[in-house]
Amino acid sequence: MSNQGVTVHHGEEINNSTGVSNKKLLMWAFLGSDVMFFGTFIGTFMAYRNKSLNGPYPEDTLDIPITSVSTFVLLMSSLGVVLAVHYLKESKMGLAKFWLILVIIMGMIFMGFQVYEFTHFAHIGMTPQANLFGSTFFTLTSLHGAHVSLGILWLIFLLYNEYKGNLTSENAIDLELAGLYWHFVDIVWIIIFALLYLITAGDGVPPGGLPWTAGH
Amino acid sequence: MSILKDLFHYDGNGWWRIPKTEEAKANPKLEHPFGKFLGMSKDFLIFITSGKGHASPAYYWAIAIILGLITIVEVWWFDVEGLRYLLVPAMLFFSLVKFILVVAFFMHLRFDNKLYSNIFVTCMIIGVFIFSLFLVLSAFHGLGN
Amino acid sequence: MSSILGPKQFQIPRIFPRPMSHSGIWYWLGTVDHKKIGTMYGIVSFFWFIMGGIEALLIRVQLSQAENDIISPELYNQLFTMHGTTMVFLVVMPLSAAFFNWLIPLQIGARDVAFPRLNALSLWVFIFGSILMNISWFTGEAPNGGWFGYPPNSTIQFNPGNGMTFWVLGLNVLGVASIAAGLNFIVTIINMRAPGMTMMRMPVFTWMTFITSILIVLALPILGVAGIQMTGDRVYGTNFFNSEAGGDPIFWQHIFWLFGHPEVYILILPAMGIVSEILPTFARKPLFGYTFIVFSGAIIGFMGWFVWSHHMFTVGLGPAANTAFTLSTMLIAIPTGVKIFNWLATLWGGSIKFTTAMLFSIGFIAMFTIGGLSGVTHAVSPSDAQQQDTYYVVAHFHYVLFGGAIFAIFGGLYFWWPKFTGYMLNERLGILNFIIMMIGFNLQFAPMHWLGLDGMPRRIYTYAENMGWELSNLAATVGGFLIAFSVLIFIINVFISRRNKKLASGDPWDARTLEWSISSPPPHYNFVNIPQVEHIDDWWYKKYPELLEGSPKQTKSAKATVEDTSNVDESKIHLPDLSYYPLFVGIGLSIAALGVIYSYALVTIGLILVFWGCIGWSTEPVNEPHEKHH
Repeated sequence: MSNQGVTVHHGEEINNSTGVSNKKLLMWAFLGSDVMFFGTFIGTFMAYRNKSLNGPYPEDTLDIPITSVSTFVLLMSSLGVVLAVHYLKESKMGLAKFWLILVIIMGMIFMGFQVYEFTHFAHIGMTPQANLFGSTFFTLTSLHGAHVSLGILWLIFLLYNEYKGNLTSENAIDLELAGLYWHFVDIVWIIIFALLYLITAGDGVPPGGLPWTAGH
Repeated sequence: MSILKDLFHYDGNGWWRIPKTEEAKANPKLEHPFGKFLGMSKDFLIFITSGKGHASPAYYWAIAIILGLITIVEVWWFDVEGLRYLLVPAMLFFSLVKFILVVAFFMHLRFDNKLYSNIFVTCMIIGVFIFSLFLVLSAFHGLGN
Repeated sequence: MSSILGPKQFQIPRIFPRPMSHSGIWYWLGTVDHKKIGTMYGIVSFFWFIMGGIEALLIRVQLSQAENDIISPELYNQLFTMHGTTMVFLVVMPLSAAFFNWLIPLQIGARDVAFPRLNALSLWVFIFGSILMNISWFTGEAPNGGWFGYPPNSTIQFNPGNGMTFWVLGLNVLGVASIAAGLNFIVTIINMRAPGMTMMRMPVFTWMTFITSILIVLALPILGVAGIQMTGDRVYGTNFFNSEAGGDPIFWQHIFWLFGHPEVYILILPAMGIVSEILPTFARKPLFGYTFIVFSGAIIGFMGWFVWSHHMFTVGLGPAANTAFTLSTMLIAIPTGVKIFNWLATLWGGSIKFTTAMLFSIGFIAMFTIGGLSGVTHAVSPSDAQQQDTYYVVAHFHYVLFGGAIFAIFGGLYFWWPKFTGYMLNERLGILNFIIMMIGFNLQFAPMHWLGLDGMPRRIYTYAENMGWELSNLAATVGGFLIAFSVLIFIINVFISRRNKKLASGDPWDARTLEWSISSPPPHYNFVNIPQVEHIDDWWYKKYPELLEGSPKQTKSAKATVEDTSNVDESKIHLPDLSYYPLFVGIGLSIAALGVIYSYALVTIGLILVFWGCIGWSTEPVNEPHEKHH
């Protein structure tokens, strides 16, 4: 029996050796790669913890209550994505759109908090140039923010397609991939929140560091 | 030995395998003095992770509520002066739990093809291993001063 | 990228029509065919090979005599920096990628890689990234901080100008290309195998590609982060490596070698795969210990993560760390040794044919063993303290990277050239090429061992007259020109063979793996019928089934013949259409990177190009609707 007519469907779910989706495999491998990306930044941050020579130090800057709120928003947006995927698979388009819109809004709220936080820090003199804490903190959180922004753009693009009728239960995998990405960004924030905020927030003047008072 | 096996969920197929369905629970039942307690906690684990209602939104809501509660505990822990000395291990533990909850249930690794888990876990192991090693080196071997 | 495959096809308006022709420049710019992409990888990286070679020759000319002043110290710094960077990132990695592209789909019995357009993206990002890095020559400020860019020598305080910024941005752009390619090949190898091709039936080259891809995907992000931090320090005034603010230059060394040591296995594992394909073909017996070779490769890939600090024995990590890394480094020699003995055992008792490809592979084993042994001598941290930053190290890594990777790549070129092009390379010129390269190589790099042990430091632009180093350095220079001559012979060989066109059959070497079961060059759809695989070296046993029944040698003539493509209904096989979006994303990325140096306007333009390319890409159907059959 000749299989001359067999077509190659690239990026689709058939004709492969393990029975898993090519795209989803790509996404997981990419997330594995992103683990190393954020891992290096987090490693940098931890290695340089308490090594700044001048202020402002974490205890002068970090504001846990505000960040807790934005953390909570991002955590709940993860629930939104998983529900959006669920309803899309069941072809409940109204609910799927509702949750997707909510996720996008929550992502934007999170970014709003970050913008507020960054301007506030800059106002009291903590910039990427100020000290080691500033350098490590800003690179890590701003690249996480870049990931969130990219995720928001991706979700908006999918939402647009949902309204156009292009995104249906048949290709729910496209939303599922965006969801995987979104959850990953969320777990990175879970770790950032624990390490960069909760653990670090009490750090004062390290040995050898100059004291710092606001207004310098 | 059998206590050890129960503790680490040795079900005849492997360690740490919490059965994915009610039907796949260990048989025969646990017999030693701790058996009842261990059995109950294991049943509870199976119940919450078995995918009973895996496909229902209520299940996702339950996970999200647990995640939210853990976050509240984290922030509370940070605020209590008397618990500060345990802050680092506690935060590592809580963020690990949250990490596992999101990866296993929101990202479906627990119910998806094992290939995805293998890929992701390999990357996690290498990442965690080398960056811990790096932090140890930088802590003990004069990085910075 | 998601591609929306819903009921109503939605596309953003096109600025240019989708290229549809199957010839001409537009075809090459828009191609998603893994064979064309592999060819372009090969040509571009061979061009950089010549450029890197010219840089090396200039270095050798300068060092040929004591107190030479042909080249200024500043230019010398730029030359050795760009020589190293070019050879690692623009030559060995992409030349390996050319082989990946050409061979992986053929060896696993697929019609293309899993994501053809992503594959095109890797190519274009690589090409524009390599151009970005080399633009710096025209600004007069080429990178000059060494291929590892150690601070403080590479920080803005001590190295003003744009040179190292070009370097670090170029590496970041190239990293994107490598990661995209690595992800693509991981998915391809896991998911696109022909029916029956289990993991343990894959050719060794495919296995090594798989392990290399995993290393690429995990190691390059670390370099990316190092690059972002270095860019931050140089352009935006952050403090990562600024010791005035408490930053630590040693920290860069850690991060760079966390990437850099897996990187050396990224360079050598594909070469090991190539050799493992050539040796059994010309020894006419199966590879000895297939499973051992595969698992040693995997163990090398894993252990390669835990040895990075052996590059830093002399920075003062303390005795405990030095001992631990000495041990782990010596341990990693074991799986490598296992491979060498397996290759030797493959040769043992075979009826060996000394073709050019075979000679290069045997040369690889010998040279790589020498390089590996000198590597073990600086795995021992006390002896490394003597060798650090001397020419001994230069000798070591040229023995493993030139004597290893480049020899294997040349062997692979001679071996697979008939498959790539459809005609044979001239064997006589090939053997001449091998002999001259072998002599030149040893003449150039063997003297560096004793130069180094005698104390000649690396990266110096000249040396005093009475050091007794003149003769060895002169020999090395002569050797360098011999290597250049041998590469010239290769180029001449290509042109002569192209003119004389001794056509190759589909299976000119009577080889073992699936790529030889189709015509040379392969049709654009590769396999008429996707093969059904039953054994390791499936094609070999399809040809000589009596070998499976215990016959010691093939007794009958080949049973299977190369696939006939004369009456294939091509309209029934369809492959993805061309796409120009990967090209634009590649251009956009490089423009954005250039903008980091020059102006935010360029960054904006670049990012808009990338964004437009991504949206266009993800809304573009794989095949144009009017072409759809059934």
